[in-house]
Amino acid sequence: MVLATGIENLQKVVERVRSEGQKAVADLVREMKALEQDASHTSLDELARLCRVGAETLQQLGLDDQSYAPHAEMVIEHLGRLVDFACACAVQSGKGGGVVEIVPPPLLTIPDPEEEKHFLETVGMFVSHAIGSVAELEEDILAVESSQDQVETIGGIRRVVHTMKAEFGVLNMGGPQQLCHQAETTIDACTEGQRGFPVDVMLECADVLKQFLDRLTRDARAEFPDVTMLLEKLRKIAADTGGATTAGPAGDEPRVHLEVGGEFADSLPEFVTEARSHLVEAEAAMLALEGNKNDLEHINLTFRAFHTIKGVAGFLNLTPLVELAHVSETLLDQARSQRMNFCQDDVDLILASGDMINQMINSIEGQPAPLQSQLKALVGKLQKASSREESAATNVVVEEPTKCEAVEDEVVPKPLPAAPAPAVAQPSVASKPAAEKPADKQVLKPQPKPSTAPSKDTPAAEDAPEHKAAKIERTVKVSTTRLDMLVDMVGELVIAQSMVLQDQAIQRLDSQSLARNISQVGKITRDLQEAAMSLRMVTVKPTFQKMARLVRDVASKSGKKVALTIQGEDTELDRNVVEQISDPLVHMIRNAIDHGIEVPDNRRLAGKNLEGQLLLRAYHQGGSIVIEIQDDGRGIDKNRVVQKAVEKGLLPAETKPQDMSDAEAFGIIFLPGFSTAEKVTDLSGRGVGMDVVRRNIEALRGKIEIESRLGEGTTFRMRLPLTLAIIDGMVVRVGRERYVVPTLSIEQSFRPGNDDVHYLIDRGECVRVRGTVLPIYRLKQIFEQSSGFDDMTEGILIVVEVDGDRSCLFVDEILGQQQVVIKSLGMQGDRVCGVSGGAIMSDGRIALILDVGSLVNSAVGVS
Amino acid sequence: MNGTIENKGKALAAAAFAAGKFLSFYLSKEEYGIAILKVREIIGMVDVTPLPRTPDFVRGVINLRGKIIPVIDLRLKFGMEPTDYTNETCIVVVDVGREGESAVQVGCIVDTVSEVLTVESEQFETAPRCANAAGDYIAGLGKLKDRVLILLDIEKVIGDLNPALLGQVA
Repeated sequence: MVLATGIENLQKVVERVRSEGQKAVADLVREMKALEQDASHTSLDELARLCRVGAETLQQLGLDDQSYAPHAEMVIEHLGRLVDFACACAVQSGKGGGVVEIVPPPLLTIPDPEEEKHFLETVGMFVSHAIGSVAELEEDILAVESSQDQVETIGGIRRVVHTMKAEFGVLNMGGPQQLCHQAETTIDACTEGQRGFPVDVMLECADVLKQFLDRLTRDARAEFPDVTMLLEKLRKIAADTGGATTAGPAGDEPRVHLEVGGEFADSLPEFVTEARSHLVEAEAAMLALEGNKNDLEHINLTFRAFHTIKGVAGFLNLTPLVELAHVSETLLDQARSQRMNFCQDDVDLILASGDMINQMINSIEGQPAPLQSQLKALVGKLQKASSREESAATNVVVEEPTKCEAVEDEVVPKPLPAAPAPAVAQPSVASKPAAEKPADKQVLKPQPKPSTAPSKDTPAAEDAPEHKAAKIERTVKVSTTRLDMLVDMVGELVIAQSMVLQDQAIQRLDSQSLARNISQVGKITRDLQEAAMSLRMVTVKPTFQKMARLVRDVASKSGKKVALTIQGEDTELDRNVVEQISDPLVHMIRNAIDHGIEVPDNRRLAGKNLEGQLLLRAYHQGGSIVIEIQDDGRGIDKNRVVQKAVEKGLLPAETKPQDMSDAEAFGIIFLPGFSTAEKVTDLSGRGVGMDVVRRNIEALRGKIEIESRLGEGTTFRMRLPLTLAIIDGMVVRVGRERYVVPTLSIEQSFRPGNDDVHYLIDRGECVRVRGTVLPIYRLKQIFEQSSGFDDMTEGILIVVEVDGDRSCLFVDEILGQQQVVIKSLGMQGDRVCGVSGGAIMSDGRIALILDVGSLVNSAVGVS
Repeated sequence: MNGTIENKGKALAAAAFAAGKFLSFYLSKEEYGIAILKVREIIGMVDVTPLPRTPDFVRGVINLRGKIIPVIDLRLKFGMEPTDYTNETCIVVVDVGREGESAVQVGCIVDTVSEVLTVESEQFETAPRCANAAGDYIAGLGKLKDRVLILLDIEKVIGDLNPALLGQVA
């Protein structure tokens, strides 16, 4: 009876929503919640669930008229069906449990405009393509009619049908997919059975598809007409010809062969990059999931990643990829809708699947594709994992709920989104076979029973994460060339602006408003420059996330337990820098785990936590970015390093460890060919890694430091410039020319006294600096300039360091320190000896940026 | 076989040169022409930052609206006497694009630019073969009513700029 009133109230509000639109949504939500209460009291679980999800969705949707309006029609239609269903339920429960099976309407979904937009775009793209395909199909069929033995044309027809089948599958359009499948089977049967081609029926199929596509162009959610008759005809023909109908979905690929096809082959590069970033996301989510198996948000994220990959791969006709993504998705979907518990094995499977997809993507770019048998095995495992649904849902939950429950309780206060995420359509079909148990579970959770644990399901707490997830930052893809162009132009603007400002004519004018306006322009210009520079910046997050995976793999390979902590992953770096720190990071992390962190037994002996701690963090420090890798392992044994280096002939035999500073000794490990490992394993030991690290970092104009305490751990610290486009330099003057010396290579500068400079026969000029004698190179002489000081005491000496060698550069004057934008000199090869590029100074003239290394090397010949 | 193809290619290239407009300029007393499609812009003489240890015809680099481009002095390039730069002196910025590489801009210092001329194909003549022709700089001659225009293949003129620079690298 209570239910009846509830339904009546709801019906009234639905009427109001119909007339008033968004304004009545709030009332509607209230009514639906009331009905949900009533329904759950009368144990109509399905109805309660529908109401709850509906109410939640409406709450989001009905925030304002703008977001509600586009969905109004859908909402009303859904509500109509909901009311019908509720009535049917009420009648049935009134009868005391009827025999009539009531089909519940689908959940109210698609509140996410992004998803909807994406869907519409996908359908749009597909339809425009498919219409062409159908036309082609028709033409081919007619061609076959005119002369029956066109094997090739029939093959063409079959391919078109197969492609369309896959595409319909991607779009979750079961009806047309089935039709295509049957048509394909029939064609196969006909070819095998050497029978005539069923032209009429095939034409009929083409007509149906064409009509359906026409309707799709008008309404992306048009329903597929009933084609039972047609299917029957096709089946009959197939049966008559006696051909075995074995062709399962995509079961006809002899080996993993990825050939890009379809009209969208052009978009392959985008697919590749996108898919990779999706995989990275998915991987990160999976790793996060290892901590908390039932965190729906992460499962959802992974699901979406695989789903997107599958979708796009479908358009590119990458059938094996689609297949793999599909089974992975199925498994994730099971977990997502809580029909099974997600366990460690599943995580491993999904990770493996991600790897294989990655391998397939790589194979598109020419690398070897995975073996067909591997793919088969993985697909089989995934299918097995997801088909354990019934047993898991019905038995396991009852028998050993402790496992899953315990995890949940431990982890708490994080609110679990109880309902399947509203973002993706959730067909209700699957809820039938798993009749009782999952439904029980569903009801148990959302009910705010104060007795169960801390109240983790309060509506407010539940809404929060969902809203957050919906707020995706909108991004646009722009080619880097255009970006660079913009940055360049802004640079020009800055220079032009400062030139205007310094113009004599303008400075003579005495106008307050002009001064104000000029300073305003100056401010905007600076802001613009900052914004333009920030466009090139990306976070280190993706790179760090890759490392998370690496840590996991390396740790398990070496039998160690390692917990990785990541800090400062939102730190931004120039994208070129980010791309290039990946390799050094890989080497350093491998080293840290392989050499640094001890095996659990040794750690126990040392009184440490069995799990090794690895800290990866990034932060700003004084205009540069610091990336640190810190482990709490055994530290570097200075004595052993020196001893090894002597053994390998890298240091003179008489070297004593105590003679060397820590920094010097630790520096040895960067030498090529140096390794303390006794054995060369597949992880490390060849002594190549750290050499690569140093080279890469130096190529980025960065520095690396090591800090280590024996028994306590090691810290590798990379100091990198914020961007490759800007260099921190000392501006010096020689004659009338200015040069920029990178600050990184400068140690000190001083004005020599008359007695400090000596001339050595055969060696040139030298100066004594704090006890050591350094060679002097005159910039004027090296650059063959006519102007500039000759007398040392008039100018200034700059001590520079290159690869450990120190020397002095003689210049007239130091003008100051400044950050300059490096520009190429506009020549191919771009290498003028001793010069690494040019910088445009504030007066519009160019100062050359010195490449101290090559300068000094070449100067050795000159002086 | 190869020879014929090559000749054909040359003839085609010559024809392409023949049918076009040229920017004419003076070096000393001679009038030269560069295919107008190669010319990006003409600017007055600006401050040039010398590049150390490059051949002397490479005057240095200039700031072309935020982009640094190298500048060569065509007089020095062709072994003529250098002169002081005047108000008439111009930098002709040309786009030089080679296959597989993006276009590079290079500035060419000339005494003065005069006009844009059309050279009809019947006015075009291949350059006479001289014994001491060092480079293939000349694409042909444009025989105008009262004078002869020396048509430069600017790609070739600039083309050996980079090896010259690279040769200096230790």
